[in-house]
Amino acid sequence: STLTEPVSVTLARDARRVANNLQQIVVFNSNRNDPARTLRDWDLWGPFFFIIALSCILSSTASTNKSTVFAVVFAVLSAGAVSLTMNVVLLGGKLNFLQSLSVLGYCLFPLDIGAILCAAYSGKLYRSAMIFATLLWSSWSVYPFVSTAVRPSRKALAVYPVFLMYISMGLLVLA
Amino acid sequence: MSGYSTIGGDVSGSVPAAAGADHVALQFQDSNLQTFPPTDARGKLTDTFSRPAEPEQFGWHGYFNLLSYRPYFNVDTSDVVQRVGDSLVPFKGDFVEKTATNPDMYGPFWICTTLIFVTAALGNFAAYLAHKTSSAGDTNWHYDINKVSWSAGLFYGYVGLLPLGLYFVLKYLGVATGLVQLWCLYGYSLFIFIPTSFLSVVPVEKFKWAVVAAAAGLSATFLALNLRTHIKTASERWFLIVCGCFVLQLGLGLLMKLYFFTVQFS
Repeated sequence: STLTEPVSVTLARDARRVANNLQQIVVFNSNRNDPARTLRDWDLWGPFFFIIALSCILSSTASTNKSTVFAVVFAVLSAGAVSLTMNVVLLGGKLNFLQSLSVLGYCLFPLDIGAILCAAYSGKLYRSAMIFATLLWSSWSVYPFVSTAVRPSRKALAVYPVFLMYISMGLLVLA
Repeated sequence: MSGYSTIGGDVSGSVPAAAGADHVALQFQDSNLQTFPPTDARGKLTDTFSRPAEPEQFGWHGYFNLLSYRPYFNVDTSDVVQRVGDSLVPFKGDFVEKTATNPDMYGPFWICTTLIFVTAALGNFAAYLAHKTSSAGDTNWHYDINKVSWSAGLFYGYVGLLPLGLYFVLKYLGVATGLVQLWCLYGYSLFIFIPTSFLSVVPVEKFKWAVVAAAAGLSATFLALNLRTHIKTASERWFLIVCGCFVLQLGLGLLMKLYFFTVQFS
């Protein structure tokens, strides 16, 4: 039945789903303690869009090597999301692979905002404060999802790589 | 036919019934065709590491199934912290003993990844600081993104390939080793380069050299002592191998210093 509908209807439905998921993950999550119920209606368009957006922004604001910057950022973000999920699964956690990719991608949204704002103004203190704030926001969104997926004795092992990736991205945006 | 002993002797023309003595049961020996990656490693470093019964579940496609690698991540936070602490004190030489029952790949992989990002970011920061303290802004400083890719190639390549090569060399010499143990050892030996990178940001050249030399020395000593306790008894050429690994680790430290933390004003 979805084959016969006009393109605008499909696009509108996908856009609404992305907005919904975004609101659920990043803004207000009513399921913070239950990662399985987070993002029941997960999709990969949102994460894809955010990764591309961050790569494009960083590439356009780079003074040299623009294409290398794009390639490195894109590769790090996508390979990072995959290896973070694999990390949780290997540590004995129970995660749906694509759902986890989806959550990690949505939690990039604050960094996107930070990158856009940093591209607009270039005072050093301002940029540092902005990046710091958006990093906190990203970490706050992603923490409950990852930490409840593994045993408590391994929580730090699962959470540390996530923070590593987001902090590295934050530093890349800052520079 | 008369010469034949009587195995159910006078049954003519038929296959003699299997007598008790002939009843050597066909015992199916455990197949030595180990296709499952982990169980290939036997010997001093591994014989206490018994795996849960996974090979029967996976067969040859265990290589491609993520879950078959789970036994290598069977560590808790406290285990990892303790192993990292052990790697900072190189003089005991018993790291491999301690990890023989439970070698993990979590440590090596994430220490390498952290090292990659840390050296790339701090290398750029060191260049930025040096740029600010010397030439007052006549050249434009920009973030060198190639540091990330070179750093990834260097560290993943070193920790990935060198233990593999060592494993083959030791196998050729007849020393029993486990590949995962070697990866574990090499991975944890790199941990000390992380605080080294933080200290190498200081723009004083002598200090940088001193710090890197100390860290490379400690790391190489850790590696060498641990390897020595294992291959000493098994081969006469152990000294050569251990020295080789020592020198290569020092070389890694040197390369790190020269590429990431040396600033050239061109």
